Amino acid sequence: MTFQSRLIKVFVVVLLALFIAGNVSAREKLRVGMECDYYPFNYKDTSGELMGYDVDVAKGLAEILDVEIVYICQAWDGMIPALLANKFDLIIASMSITKSRAKKIDFSTPYRVSAGQILGPKKMKVKLFDEQDNLIPENFKGLRVGLERATTYSSWFKAKLPGADIVLYDGTEPAYLDLVNGRVDIIMTNPMKAHLKFLSKPNGAGFEFKSPPINEVDYFGTGVGIGMRKGQDELKARLNAGLKKLITEGKLTEYALKIFPFAIHNEEWKDIE
Amino acid sequence: MEAIAGWWDDYFWASIVVFKVFIASLLFMVLFGLIGAMAKLSNNRIAQKLASAYTIVFRGTPEILVILLLYFGSAIALTSIAQVFNPDIKFLDVPPFWAGTFAISVIVGSYATETFRGAFLGVDPGHVEAARALGLSDFQSFIHVRIPEMWRIALPPFGNHMLSLVKDTALISIIGLNETLFVAKQATSFTGKPFVMYILVGCIYLAFSTVITLTVMGFEKFGNRHLKEAL
Amino acid sequence: MTESVALIFDSVLKMLVGLGMTLQLLIISSGLGLILAVILLLMRISGKWYLNLPAQIYIYIFRGTPILVQIFIIYYGLPQFEFIRDSIFWPILREGYGCAIVALFLNSGAYTSEILRGGVLAVDQGLLEAASALGMSKPQRFLYILTPIATRISLPAYSNEFISMLKSTSLASTITVADMTGIGRTIVAQTFAPYEIFLSLAIIYMILTFFIQRSFGWIENRLSRYTKKLGIS
Repeated sequence: MTFQSRLIKVFVVVLLALFIAGNVSAREKLRVGMECDYYPFNYKDTSGELMGYDVDVAKGLAEILDVEIVYICQAWDGMIPALLANKFDLIIASMSITKSRAKKIDFSTPYRVSAGQILGPKKMKVKLFDEQDNLIPENFKGLRVGLERATTYSSWFKAKLPGADIVLYDGTEPAYLDLVNGRVDIIMTNPMKAHLKFLSKPNGAGFEFKSPPINEVDYFGTGVGIGMRKGQDELKARLNAGLKKLITEGKLTEYALKIFPFAIHNEEWKDIE
Repeated sequence: MEAIAGWWDDYFWASIVVFKVFIASLLFMVLFGLIGAMAKLSNNRIAQKLASAYTIVFRGTPEILVILLLYFGSAIALTSIAQVFNPDIKFLDVPPFWAGTFAISVIVGSYATETFRGAFLGVDPGHVEAARALGLSDFQSFIHVRIPEMWRIALPPFGNHMLSLVKDTALISIIGLNETLFVAKQATSFTGKPFVMYILVGCIYLAFSTVITLTVMGFEKFGNRHLKEAL
Repeated sequence: MTESVALIFDSVLKMLVGLGMTLQLLIISSGLGLILAVILLLMRISGKWYLNLPAQIYIYIFRGTPILVQIFIIYYGLPQFEFIRDSIFWPILREGYGCAIVALFLNSGAYTSEILRGGVLAVDQGLLEAASALGMSKPQRFLYILTPIATRISLPAYSNEFISMLKSTSLASTITVADMTGIGRTIVAQTFAPYEIFLSLAIIYMILTFFIQRSFGWIENRLSRYTKKLGIS
């Protein structure tokens, strides 16, 4: 039996040593969680480098706050649980500031507008919204909707159209793929991304928006913000100050213009306390 | 085919990750399997019950759940364990590589426990007695007699366990490990060509499986060389 | 603490709704897999290279690649091709459910055929020779001697494969199927309580495994009752 207990002791010591070694560092390190697969806000290009609006915001903040940023890729539906389990310190992943999320985590001031829009094939004649942009629930019957788990889009759909035939995905890209190959009839997603990545490309030629941009504050919040665990007021203040600087120095506009022909934040946000 | 063009190096590094996970989980799997088998074979009732619980729990739970549980719950569990040793530690975090490696080692280790147990029972008791009669200590007879004879018997099913380890690595992509399936997902959203990307992942894993199978066959030949039939 | 208990209770009820889906995936793919396995087995033991080789290649590919990759190739990869979307298979492949069953049964068929082959090889040659001496033809020997004995021998390994299939059904959650794991992940995404939900889910799977093992054990005992009486193994 002594051999066994020796083995076990060696194993525990090795394990502990590995973890402690991993935690030694010099400059303040902030771990940032993002999807890494959400073009054009956070994604990897062919050289494996992380790029996108969210990544630029993170880099900008790192400079202003003088911290080292470590990026951690995380599947969307596990984003908040991972933050709470201390996998990373911040969520900079285009996460909308909603009431239900704010119950579990804190948010910074917003850094991007948040809205959803429904995409569908051009040849679909049924109108889902009338001229006054009101929802026509009956016309959704028989339509299969693709939505991502744990998003503002799925909450909106569940609340407004509880009887809909919903298919839930682990990420955005699979939903687009399935829209193209006809597995789902419509999807609800970010309009900026839809326009840039999809509608303007050959893949999206046969598709169009089937709804106006939907940005009800109850479901989409005031915008997209940085998520962090509760009780870190000092960190929140530093981040908000940093974001304010990014707005006033025109950096947010600069980041947005890299991808879109317009800014995607609200200038008034620099005045939020 | 041009779609893959920019991604060769990503797949290459991702394959290195698969290899690293394999080596790390192999070591842990053997460790867990040996500990479990010894516990089951010992005379200690508590050890036997614990080992039984270990095999029942991990042979009956889907791998993906164990991976997700270890990823989300590990920080909490390990922090409490670590605080027993060093109360100053505030939190211990487990990156996806280790959470995933640990998860698959624990699962395949539970199967390995049964394999090793059967193999230990297959060692001729006469050999062990002879070793003791020659004056070898328990530890020495374990190292020089029981283990060499045991691994030869365990080799075929052990080869299957190694294959399981390699294939389970694909599951760790779900918690963000940068291995080949994860790269394929990202490459798919960039290029819009899922078939090619996923087939490539299949080929990479097939290559790993083939190498492992051939290696195990080689070891089997080596381990059984003294049993070559006299013509 | 009471909030946790209420959450677990509520979630377990929701996840058990997925039990039907999980069992469907398990039984249908194992059933189809068994049929495929017998076909592959016959090809493997036929002795003809043009049957043996394709079967071997098929088994090699499906046992050498992770099942998650197989699922992704079928669900995400196949629709890339126009001819798939226009074919008669599209109604099946259109659904995550259909794709999951296809991937699972193709995989199960490969593993099961190897298990059955092991069982066939383990049948005592003497019995087959005796049957041959008694004038039984090859198909008769296969049906009346080989199959019953090989089945009994393969049963322990097959029960392991069946339980493996149960665990693999949880992977269907990655392609939108609402099985127990799929529902569990959705609940975790809404409540941010991974520990409680996944632990309860794991316990449900363990209970299922227990029942499956018991059932197979009972079947094994029934099939082996004549060996106990006669004292053979």
